[in-house]
Amino acid sequence: MEPVLTRYIREPNSYTLDFFLKHDGYNGLKAALGMEPNAVIDLVKASGLRGRGGAGFPTGLKWQFVLKDTPLPKYICCNADESEPGTFKDHVLMERNPHLLFEGCLIGCRAIGAKVAYIYIRGEFFHVQKVLEAELAKAYAQGYVGKNIMGTGFDCDIVIHRGAGAYEAGEETALIESLEGKRAQPRIKPPFPAVSGLYNCPTAVNNVETLCNLPSILLNGAEWFTSLGPEKNGGPKLFCVSGHVKKPGTYEASMSTTLHELIYGHAGGIRDGHQLKAIIPGGSSVPILLPHELEIPASFDAVAQVGSMLGSAGIIVMDETTCMVWAARNLLYFYKHESCGKCTPCREGGDWLHRILTKIENGEGEMRDIDLLTSIGSNIAGKTLCAFGDAAATPALTTVKHFRPEFEAHVREGRCTVPADWRAARTPVAH
Amino acid sequence: MDTVTLTIDGREVTVEKGKTVLQAAIDNGVQIPYYCYHPGLGIDGSCRVCIVKIEKLPKLQTSCSTPVAEGMVVSTQTPEVVEARASVFEFLLINHPLDCPVCDKGGECPLQDFSYSFGPNESRMEFPRRVFDGEGVRADVDFGPTLMLNRNRCILCTRCVRFMREIDTDPQINIVDRGYGSEIATFQEEGVHSLLSGNLMDVCPVGAITTRDYRFKSRPWDNPDAVDTICTLCEKGCNTTAWLKAKPEWAKGARLIRITPRFNPDVNDYWMCDIGRFDYRWIEGDNRLQKPLLRSEAGVLEPTDWRNVVGKVADRVTAAGGPSALGFLVSGHASLEELALIGRLGGTLGLREEGVAVGWRRREKPQAPGAKFKIPPVDAPNLMGAADMGFPVRPTSSGDADLAAFRGDVEAGRITVLYVFDPGPEGTLGDVSWIVEARQSGRLQHLIVQGVLMTPLAAAADIVLPGAAWVEKDAAYVNEQGRLQGAARAIAPPGEAMEDWQILVNVGLALGAPLTYTSSQEVRAEIAAGLGDNPRYAGLAELAFARPTAAGNWLKTSNPSERWKWDFMFQDLPPVKFVGKPGATSWMNGIPLTEVE
Ligand SMILES: Cc1cc2nc3c(=O)[nH]c(=O)nc-3n(C[C@H](O)[C@H](O)[C@H](O)COP(=O)(O)O)c2cc1C
Ligand code: SF4
Ligand code: SF4
Ligand code: FES
Repeated sequence: MEPVLTRYIREPNSYTLDFFLKHDGYNGLKAALGMEPNAVIDLVKASGLRGRGGAGFPTGLKWQFVLKDTPLPKYICCNADESEPGTFKDHVLMERNPHLLFEGCLIGCRAIGAKVAYIYIRGEFFHVQKVLEAELAKAYAQGYVGKNIMGTGFDCDIVIHRGAGAYEAGEETALIESLEGKRAQPRIKPPFPAVSGLYNCPTAVNNVETLCNLPSILLNGAEWFTSLGPEKNGGPKLFCVSGHVKKPGTYEASMSTTLHELIYGHAGGIRDGHQLKAIIPGGSSVPILLPHELEIPASFDAVAQVGSMLGSAGIIVMDETTCMVWAARNLLYFYKHESCGKCTPCREGGDWLHRILTKIENGEGEMRDIDLLTSIGSNIAGKTLCAFGDAAATPALTTVKHFRPEFEAHVREGRCTVPADWRAARTPVAH
Repeated sequence: MDTVTLTIDGREVTVEKGKTVLQAAIDNGVQIPYYCYHPGLGIDGSCRVCIVKIEKLPKLQTSCSTPVAEGMVVSTQTPEVVEARASVFEFLLINHPLDCPVCDKGGECPLQDFSYSFGPNESRMEFPRRVFDGEGVRADVDFGPTLMLNRNRCILCTRCVRFMREIDTDPQINIVDRGYGSEIATFQEEGVHSLLSGNLMDVCPVGAITTRDYRFKSRPWDNPDAVDTICTLCEKGCNTTAWLKAKPEWAKGARLIRITPRFNPDVNDYWMCDIGRFDYRWIEGDNRLQKPLLRSEAGVLEPTDWRNVVGKVADRVTAAGGPSALGFLVSGHASLEELALIGRLGGTLGLREEGVAVGWRRREKPQAPGAKFKIPPVDAPNLMGAADMGFPVRPTSSGDADLAAFRGDVEAGRITVLYVFDPGPEGTLGDVSWIVEARQSGRLQHLIVQGVLMTPLAAAADIVLPGAAWVEKDAAYVNEQGRLQGAARAIAPPGEAMEDWQILVNVGLALGAPLTYTSSQEVRAEIAAGLGDNPRYAGLAELAFARPTAAGNWLKTSNPSERWKWDFMFQDLPPVKFVGKPGATSWMNGIPLTEVE
């Protein structure tokens, strides 16, 4: 598949307005402004575009749910928090193709009747924010954003807001709270943001990559978009392959591409002299897949069918040097550190899991600790306020499920028995 | 009223539309635990103990955040729910210090009760518990002038955060840090500075927020009696409960051990202010008037007996030489009964209209402008009642008592005998230094004070009549909304002090007034008859006053939706499981341990 989103990112000036304008820039928006808002929504629905933030929810449908019949203002919030471990696609788009995102935001605003889009960008993306702000200023100056866009009478603002660096701020309602100046903690749903979001007004929260797909849908049509991938999984998709591969990186491909192809083709395969042990296909929050499960399309539906999730399409590849106890503990350190602490199971349980994993890794574990991991993990999953709880429980549950003998060996031997690599060989610290 | 019918645990219940599943359950006696939910605060959905199974929904749902729907089928007892709920309780307790034996909430703690009822029997946690501020040393911190905070006990329900945000509207409390490190905090550890701070102890479902006033003073089982009453410290008249500690007569210390709010949606909701909650220690304090006092020839106030002192009052009043030389200054704390009797007295003596004045104190209470619970400025419970009874309630343009003319009469010596009725706490009559001055300079010849405390005013008096504080007498008041309410007698007046209606009857009789009342109820009946055309007083003759009853729990009265919890709690705990007989080495021979199967 010809890259669509990342076609020009290697050009030195790909991020500039001039470059963008020479390559169909803002033409998708022009098309959208020539259409009725509802027609834009219908087009996006027909394209089958699914959210790239993790859940794969159809974007057109989400927009349709946005309350239209209200005197309240409506908002687009672009989720640029990209904090899922193993995920590094949105920031590439923002850094190398910022106008594509602006254009996507404006098309979204046109569709739902919003007059402003907020780009909520992850706290650590300082360098990206600088690019975005400089380019946004140019877009304003040349009439692509702001009042009377391209002389069409359409007014729309874009505001860039940098977060304070919390993973949980990527959860859509926590993002909204954070935008409002509060702690990034999720709200209970319902009401969903489409009904009551930012400042309690109807809001659509869309991922960066999701929005970046809009201009090409407007230009090339729904059919073109669906034809790029398997049924219900159309369009170009960015995959982030990381870990023990020869060429880790962000790759644009169709979702018909198999996981195997992505790892062995695009990313050059496992580093020399090693074999694949397991992958996490959708960012750190989803269940592990084993080497024999990779001959499936890297699509939302195919990955779900084998019991995992495509999530943010962050494919984390682990070879045989990876100690699974270490991997679980590493991830649980992340989750217990990032838990917002609002609800009981995640706040208390995440830390507990981490302590038990640390204990096992330190060689002090007991056999019953392994069952305890499963029990605590299941007690967190499904009982929390937001999906973070499930995400936090997953690394513990999935590693024990697939690699129980490794945990047992740790307990029995009092040490790691995996021919571990330098990281895993290090003595873990308490926390 | 639109209603919705749903099924909870196989039982059909019908509730008002818009309620949540949790509220439907509480209203119908179905037991679902909860922490972050509080009927007076917004929904948070964070503690997760209220989870239930709702048919057709894949995941368990928090009942506090789920509105009822027609035909909804809810289960609270399926194995899935029971197990999931127990797991949340396990999580809640893994870091809780379980220092119940030294915790003020122990014995009336929702965390204890619910954990016993719904939690697992034991915890699988084996790691050290989380402690704040360096190994527990400073987990217990000052939390402003009225409160203490113990962060180790906190379960992060955010009720306190939401109370400050939603009710006080000065959001001084928040959580700092996140996840496992989350802790309740105020800006720069300044603590809570609010006249509503005491409510934070009520809303806190554990012993994390306690009041300095009640701290370590008593345990729930030491407070066998509670009396439902009202607060009379301002014109709002919050509904309250007065708690009485068990105490032998000879033991030191007070019986009245705390005052807590009692839910009344029309007056005070679930709340009360700190003035009403904490300003009660004077009632059993050393400064109370306990005996009638009479100024001796030598100019010293000396104790005397009631018979003598009442006679002396009559002598002074008679000697004044006519009604125009007589003045009555009545506090806005005077109840309807007391006002009626003063009225009768004045009538008998032929008192001039200008000879009577009503005094009170007015202070703006510093509160956030948007506060949902407003403390009114006038520190008197019955100005409305006084006005209805025909007393001259005359505010100046700023709302203070306008006593200028009356004061003029006293200072000019036109009033030679002044009878001050001052049953409120010190200062609530407003500025009285001018009376003290007038008496000391001799322009006022005789000062009679019927009151409760040895104030500078009482100290300047020639005759002092010790009366009763509002918790020591049954008396009726009309609050700022025009609502008639009764404050009940919870404890007896100290020493020889008497209920004020009795003092006034005795004084009246000595002055020849034909008073035949033998109870304050008779006075009320007569007022009711006299004010029969005023609907406000329709219930006065039958006004009921609570008597001390076996204490349930303060939460039970402060918050009716907590009720079943306490019904639960005061059930006997299961018998101590003890197998075999105590060994010979047991030194606790006195405690019989029974064997249970
Ligand atoms: C804990 C958590 C973290 C999340 N982080 C992100 C994120 O960094 N970026 C993102 O786009 N979506 C994130 N999401 C998903 C968002 O909640 C939301 O579903 C998404 O932004 C919707 O956009 P989409 O429909 O375009 O995918 C996260 C969700 C959870 C539960
Ligand atoms: S699941 Fe975790 S991140 Fe989500 S609300 Fe609960 S504590 Fe916060
Ligand atoms: S201090 Fe009390 S009320 Fe506040 S969050 Fe903690 S447990 Fe809840
Ligand atoms: S009471 Fe429902 S989540 Fe706390």
